[in-house]
Amino acid sequence: MTSLALEVVGVGRRFGGLVALRDVTFSVAEGEIVGLIGPNGAGKSTLFEIISGNMPPSHGAIRYFGADVTGKAAYLRRRDGLCRTFQKVRLFETMTVEQNVRVAASQCLPSGRSLASEVDDMLQQFHLGDLRHRKPSELTLADRKRVEIARAVAGACRLLMLDESLSGLTHDEAHRLVSEIILLNKSRGITVVIVEHVLSVLAAMVQRLVVLHNATIVAMGTPTEIANNPLVIEAYLGSQGGALT
Amino acid sequence: MTVNGAGRPRSTVGVSGEPLWLLGVLAAVAILPALPFINNFIIAAVVRALIFIALGQAWNVVAGIGGLLSLGHGVFLGIGCYTMGILFNHFGLPPWFGVFAGVALACVVAAAMGALTLRVRGVFFALATVSVSLALVQLSRHFVDLTGGADGLSLKFIGNSLWVGQSRTPTPFLYAGLAVVVLYYFATRMILASSFGLTMMAVRDDETAAAAAGVAVFRTKLFGLVLSAGMTAFAAALYMQFYMAIDPEAAFGLSQAIQLQLPSLLGGIGTAIGPVIGGAIMIFMSEVTNWGSTKIGVEGGDILVYGILLLVVVLRAPQGVAGLFKSAIVR
Ligand SMILES: Nc1ncnc2c1ncn2[C@@H]1O[C@H](COP(=O)(O)OP(=O)(O)O)[C@@H](O)[C@H]1O
Ligand SMILES: [Mg+2]
Repeated sequence: MTSLALEVVGVGRRFGGLVALRDVTFSVAEGEIVGLIGPNGAGKSTLFEIISGNMPPSHGAIRYFGADVTGKAAYLRRRDGLCRTFQKVRLFETMTVEQNVRVAASQCLPSGRSLASEVDDMLQQFHLGDLRHRKPSELTLADRKRVEIARAVAGACRLLMLDESLSGLTHDEAHRLVSEIILLNKSRGITVVIVEHVLSVLAAMVQRLVVLHNATIVAMGTPTEIANNPLVIEAYLGSQGGALT
Repeated sequence: MTVNGAGRPRSTVGVSGEPLWLLGVLAAVAILPALPFINNFIIAAVVRALIFIALGQAWNVVAGIGGLLSLGHGVFLGIGCYTMGILFNHFGLPPWFGVFAGVALACVVAAAMGALTLRVRGVFFALATVSVSLALVQLSRHFVDLTGGADGLSLKFIGNSLWVGQSRTPTPFLYAGLAVVVLYYFATRMILASSFGLTMMAVRDDETAAAAAGVAVFRTKLFGLVLSAGMTAFAAALYMQFYMAIDPEAAFGLSQAIQLQLPSLLGGIGTAIGPVIGGAIMIFMSEVTNWGSTKIGVEGGDILVYGILLLVVVLRAPQGVAGLFKSAIVR
């Protein structure tokens, strides 16, 4: 039996009068790549904030590899390998690419492993070697996203949550990044939850899709099941007609 | 290469050849007393520069590297000076021991301030540093027997004595000041190159992203503040032994608070070399203005000049003088 990397149990979140999430429950098995889709404002980013520990839920619990982490500080979750990127890329802008990666590796690397080689591995894996001494402001968006993922993964990563990492990229850039993410999944065994709007790209990489709409989950299943789910077509894909294919 | 976003590259650590020419300058300062045309007046001015460079280096750790805008670092200068002064005048404890009591007390106060204010984001910390300054002014006025009240506290004068750290001539303070500045310079470089320094910079740049990189944000800020406070109280020993006196205004006043921040802001905040350059400029300007304003009979000209200097730096060279040099080299 494969274990569950992530369990979101009855999570709700309010912002004053606004209900951003209502009774959201789903789980992700270890090694899976799961896509989280839904229209703007559905609550996807808010869910990431709660899973990563950046924001407390109003209701519900988060379990990470079986342990309840609902009250655990974000930095401690990260050190345990619960990693994420941000919808709007957030890098340490006064620091070099290498320092961005190094700081995460230095905090999260299990003792006994070499910091320098972890940083080098990460820079190499994301093809950032030549850019290591650059500042983020000098990079293309695709490279900035790469740095953010490298920083998110460095040191320790078991579950990676990517918030619209592919959007804003050209078709080629997006495909390159997808193959790098798949490589992370395959070579490091990292479980991936990815929020995305480029559905055609997503459909090719994920095993399962979770559809969030109006603060709640409306469907779950394989990309094909989701594409044929009348509720989803009605609620989410209706206006875009066949965006999944 | 595609360039996203505007602006020149920002400086973090100084250029790699930096220590060499800096050591040259410091060596030149060290042989000052041996030069024929140098008198005690000039040496005293250089000592003042070294003292404010050291205090600036201390502020730079928390504000420059850590991004925590402490507007009231005079608190730690005052704690250092008053502790040493009280222990010496009332208990005969020489500054060699008093300084460690001052450093310890400054660290405790910093830890308490930090614990109360650093968990929340935003301006609370900056405001807290100001209100603690104001509280200490009241406190020093209240315990007149110990602190001398508004008149301040003057060290009992013994004369030339290594044991009590006193000297009639400024030359010993030149070497003591030089030692502290060199120590703090290399300490700053070590911090900048260390994992701890990286976490401080990460917190400065983006707290949320720092936490998402595994950084213990609160603890990092707290440690940075305590370290900076301890460094300030240690440099306060130079201040106290050289000036032989402290009063509430000199410790906790606005113009002192500005003088603690100006070296880093002028020279280049967050860099190792910044406070060294900035402190030298600041004291040079202050000496010139004091001389000038005495000539024309205007008081407090230095504060006006500081204000103008700061305005120029903020508007024209936000990375300070060190940043100007660096972009001139890059270009
Ligand atoms: N910090 C916040 N304060 C108030 N409202 C918020 C906050 N974050 C998100 N929201 C609201 O919650 C809803 C869900 O937002 P979000 O999770 O960003 O959606 P998505 O990522 O699916 O586009 C939106 O209506 C948004 O305006
Ligand atoms: Mg979003």
